Amino acid sequence: MIRFEGAGKRHPDGTVAVEGLDLEVPTGRITVLVGPSGCGKTTLLRMVNRMVEPTSGRVLLDGTDVAELEPAKLRRGIGYVIQQAGLFPHRKVIDNIATVPNLLGWDRKKARARAAELLELVGLAPETAKRYPFQLSGGQQQRVGVARALAADPPVLLMDEPFSAVDPVVRAGLQEELLRLQSELHKTVLFVTHDIEEAVRLGDQVVVLREHGRIAQLADPHTLLTTPADDGVAAFLGRDRGLRGLGLRPASAIALRPVGDGRKDGPEGGPTDGLTHGGWELTLDDERRPIGWIDRAAVTAELHPVAGFHPDTDTLRTVLDAAVLSPAGVAVALDTEGRATGTASREAVLAALAPGSSRPGAARPGAARPETARPESGGPGSGGPVRTDKPATGDAPDAGPADGAPGGR
Amino acid sequence: MDDEPIVRWYWIGDHVGYLGHLLADHAVIALVPVLIGLLLAIPLGLACARFPRLYQPLSAVFNIVYALPSLAVFVVLIPYTGLATQATVMIPLTFYALAVLLPTTVDGLRAVPDAVRQAATAMGYGPWHRLTSVELPAAVPYLIAGLRVAAVSSISLASVGALIGRGGLGYLFIDGFQRTFPTPIVAGIALIAVLALAVDLLLVGARRVLAPWAVREKGAGS
Repeated sequence: MIRFEGAGKRHPDGTVAVEGLDLEVPTGRITVLVGPSGCGKTTLLRMVNRMVEPTSGRVLLDGTDVAELEPAKLRRGIGYVIQQAGLFPHRKVIDNIATVPNLLGWDRKKARARAAELLELVGLAPETAKRYPFQLSGGQQQRVGVARALAADPPVLLMDEPFSAVDPVVRAGLQEELLRLQSELHKTVLFVTHDIEEAVRLGDQVVVLREHGRIAQLADPHTLLTTPADDGVAAFLGRDRGLRGLGLRPASAIALRPVGDGRKDGPEGGPTDGLTHGGWELTLDDERRPIGWIDRAAVTAELHPVAGFHPDTDTLRTVLDAAVLSPAGVAVALDTEGRATGTASREAVLAALAPGSSRPGAARPGAARPETARPESGGPGSGGPVRTDKPATGDAPDAGPADGAPGGR
Repeated sequence: MDDEPIVRWYWIGDHVGYLGHLLADHAVIALVPVLIGLLLAIPLGLACARFPRLYQPLSAVFNIVYALPSLAVFVVLIPYTGLATQATVMIPLTFYALAVLLPTTVDGLRAVPDAVRQAATAMGYGPWHRLTSVELPAAVPYLIAGLRVAAVSSISLASVGALIGRGGLGYLFIDGFQRTFPTPIVAGIALIAVLALAVDLLLVGARRVLAPWAVREKGAGS
């Protein structure tokens, strides 16, 4: 655990970077410091590894004042990732990753083996090892930066806007990767960003900072989005915070309407099961994978695209998005094989939002990643991470009574 | 002089051994100072990067030395190091090389991106350790760019040493001038150009080997 006790920083010229902050960063969790530039978040981060010395108060690492520890030794036990990755241009990727093990005096072979292991862990191909940093894309460099920070298996990880310099698609991939790593490694992460979206997505605990490092609000992402402490925080969160809050709720909270067995056994062979929604009919193939929506009133059997989601890994936001995009106003729940397991209408999403019907934060911490439905995009050339975690059950667990979801008549 | 051709090839043919001897002498006189200059520039440059206040006075001193006419310096040194000795020519050349190499070393050390420096610090490098194992290797392209300038200018300057009796190929210029016989002058110019070109190519090759990661950064430091 990292504990800030009245930690403040006054520059020699008299300007105050941080007035004096009290904060606990719990072990094994991601704590995000978020705020506008100049709020002192980077200064606070650097107090932990003594790259900045507080002028008042102190910072404790597992109960020990960091000021009592020798800086170089302290830093070798703390992973550090920065915005531009800061890879050593003259060292190959493998040697960049092995930096701290080498500094710690590990046997060279062991250090290299460890580095190769980490390369795989962050989703980079083994042949990347022999490249130089300039030969990598920004996203790949950032992955190497994360691997380098993790090389000596430090319990604490400091991350200073690590994903700010890459494009949004790559950033999303890196964020996803960080959550996956965290679900395996359980590091104590202190993460600095100016991007509230990123803060809410990654943090188990989000600390919204004002100028001079004053805490405006400290809360879990759900609480932050639903009950901002004041107008200032609400303004910082942005106008669509309610909508973004959906991104924190698991799609499994929705009561799905079953799709039935697909047999058309109604009167005159017409469809009577969950395949019809208003004037639209969902068409499945023999494997029960959705093919498209057909407008029952139309003369031609033109197929309209289906928007699907995975109940165990996606969030309500994805489901609502899929439902809005679907011509029938219905999102289709899919299992890992892409087979339809149920449907969720817009109304069903809203019903899941009713008080008591959802489990805010149930998808957290770490274990399940919100919004995994986005396109795989691990950055140019990285090939994207391989998903290792499968949903626990093949079928949607919440495929309950159809009347729970008043979608379609 | 009017009927004298620019080059009398037979003279060159007759003097191959002599020319080779002068070339070797020239290479030693010109390049050993560059090497010594490099060996001095690295620790001085590291010190300047570590303690920035050192840099201004040091670079001022070397700039003044660089401004001194070489012939004047030779004359001043003769009483101490002797006429026509290698040392008399090589000492000023060492200072000239240093005057070029010190700024390029310091620039190279400073050119390391801030993110790299911070990452190194955050991983537990002390200030000196970081300078020698992160910033210095990252400055190699700058060092080599400086070496190319220093080496070529040293090869050119060394011929002035002929005026005090130790100038390698420079002797050919005096000889040709005194005898109004252009062939040795042409041979000397050609050999100096060849030597400069060879050393330059060698350094470009060294850069490829020592800093393969920098091939993309065209003209770094120069």
